[in-house]
Amino acid sequence: MRFSFFLSEAFGSMRRNWVMAMAAVITVFISTAILGAVLVTRDNLNQGATSLKNRVMIEVFIKDSATPKQTQALERKIQGMNDVKSYKYISKEEALRRFRERFGERIVANLPINPLPASYEVQVKDADQVDRVAQQFFNDPTVDNDPGTHNGVKYAKETVRKMLGTISLIEKGMWVTTGIFAAAAVLLISTTVRLSIFARRREVEIMRLVGATNWFIRWPFVLEGFITGLVGAVLAAAFVWVGNWGIANWIQTSQIDFLSLRIFRMWWQGGTWPLGLMPTLAILGAFLGAVGSLVALRRYLKT
Amino acid sequence: MIVFEDVIKVYDPDVVGLQDFTCHIGKGEFVFLVGPSGSGKSTLIKLVLKELVPNSGRILVAGRNLGTLRKSRVPLLRRNIGCVFQDFKLLPNKTVHDNVAYALEVVGEPRRSIRRKVPEILSLVGLAEKTDSYPHEISGGEQQRVSVARAFVNHPPLLLADEPTGNIDPETAVGIMQLLVRINRTGTTVLIATHDRDMVNRMRRRVLQLEAGRLVRDERRGSYDQVTEEVGDAF
Ligand SMILES: Nc1ncnc2c1ncn2[C@@H]1O[C@H](COP(=O)(O)OP(=O)(O)OP(=O)(O)O)[C@@H](O)[C@H]1O
Ligand SMILES: [Mg+2]
Repeated sequence: MRFSFFLSEAFGSMRRNWVMAMAAVITVFISTAILGAVLVTRDNLNQGATSLKNRVMIEVFIKDSATPKQTQALERKIQGMNDVKSYKYISKEEALRRFRERFGERIVANLPINPLPASYEVQVKDADQVDRVAQQFFNDPTVDNDPGTHNGVKYAKETVRKMLGTISLIEKGMWVTTGIFAAAAVLLISTTVRLSIFARRREVEIMRLVGATNWFIRWPFVLEGFITGLVGAVLAAAFVWVGNWGIANWIQTSQIDFLSLRIFRMWWQGGTWPLGLMPTLAILGAFLGAVGSLVALRRYLKT
Repeated sequence: MIVFEDVIKVYDPDVVGLQDFTCHIGKGEFVFLVGPSGSGKSTLIKLVLKELVPNSGRILVAGRNLGTLRKSRVPLLRRNIGCVFQDFKLLPNKTVHDNVAYALEVVGEPRRSIRRKVPEILSLVGLAEKTDSYPHEISGGEQQRVSVARAFVNHPPLLLADEPTGNIDPETAVGIMQLLVRINRTGTTVLIATHDRDMVNRMRRRVLQLEAGRLVRDERRGSYDQVTEEVGDAF
């Protein structure tokens, strides 16, 4: 048995049934492209969610009347917290500088005194712990709370929670979509292969009468499935790749900065475009094609 | 070469294919299998190829017991049996050359020997000119010669033909039959199921006659009909 014989059989058959071959390639292309797009998007959303979680920050404002000792005590308290990743002291001057940067010189120039309090910016390790950490500042005498409230502690509690919720929902939806399309891909490929084998069942019967072993009959079909799957998937991977690039460029040049989330960037832009995705999709396509052929052949090669 | 012992083949709802069939066909014999439509000729040929399995009885082909022959060995059995059918059974997408070559590819024949053997056998059957034609581009008689070439290119010890001349005009049929005789002369056992009365009568070879799945006549130098003899006796 010669590999070159099987290969030429496979190519010959694809040339003869090129419409069928095209249909199979397009089927693989569509399903793996969707699969690829879903995977890339999921990957990027994950990244977005992670960076969002990382930016959950608690601002703890310090009373103007607090003594340096009290401030130091507060800092030690922050240092002692397990859930805190990092913290930064923002002095009254720093706060004013930032304010000026943001709203312009004119407003600041008219102020008789600096009304902005000093603060600590506290980063928590895990977004889910943000409440617990924040609560520890609610009754601290050094913190600039108005009596009966805890407005001296600020954190983007609701927004972040909603966003994370949305992202995890989208992610779940994506998993479901991925599953559905993976199943659809297998089904479509095996149906396409089955149709083409059904059209050639007489040939298969003749081959068997001449004394061809099952594997001798199978190989050209399997190779055909393999090649179609590979071509479709490589095209799909290229398509997803170009699509991702387009989105990355659009995000870069557009004014909206998506909460300055740095997503959909290509690897040379410092993003983590899943490089492994290309070969994964290609191998997946080729594998689907080959397995589709095998499954479809089973009926005709029983005895 | 072929031994049938008390073979019974019944199709699903009580349709008899072959009934209590016993017979021996020796090495190098040339045998006609005759009988009306539905008498079991094709059934017998399919049993020899192990396309069908008998309900009971024993079948030996070239010393091999088909009852104990493993499924995976069936292709090996078939490589030792050349087959010719009424509908030619050529691969429609392959040229004349590639159809014949396929039988050699199947047994893993080296490319060099394929390049030598195929033109050789094609000129033997008189189709050297049609090497690159496709089956639909040549006549029925030519297609049947391709199928004979394919059946014989491996020089199998046994050649089965199920109505090889059924779709062919009488003159062409003679040509096909001559080919089969030539193949038989090389030592290949030939078994032909046929309705071709003239042919059988002219050749005067061993005749097996089936009737509703039973062997009703086994004659050494027989004719197509039993009646001819009875008429002869009457005179
Ligand atoms: N696959 C099958 N399923 C059910 N019955 C079948 C099948 N094949 C053949 N038969 C029946 O078995 C009997 C013998 O058929 P067979 O094909 O062997 O006859 P035959 O002698 O070859 O006839 P013909 O000369 O018309 O080719 C017939 O009654 C036929 O209807
Ligand atoms: Mg028949």
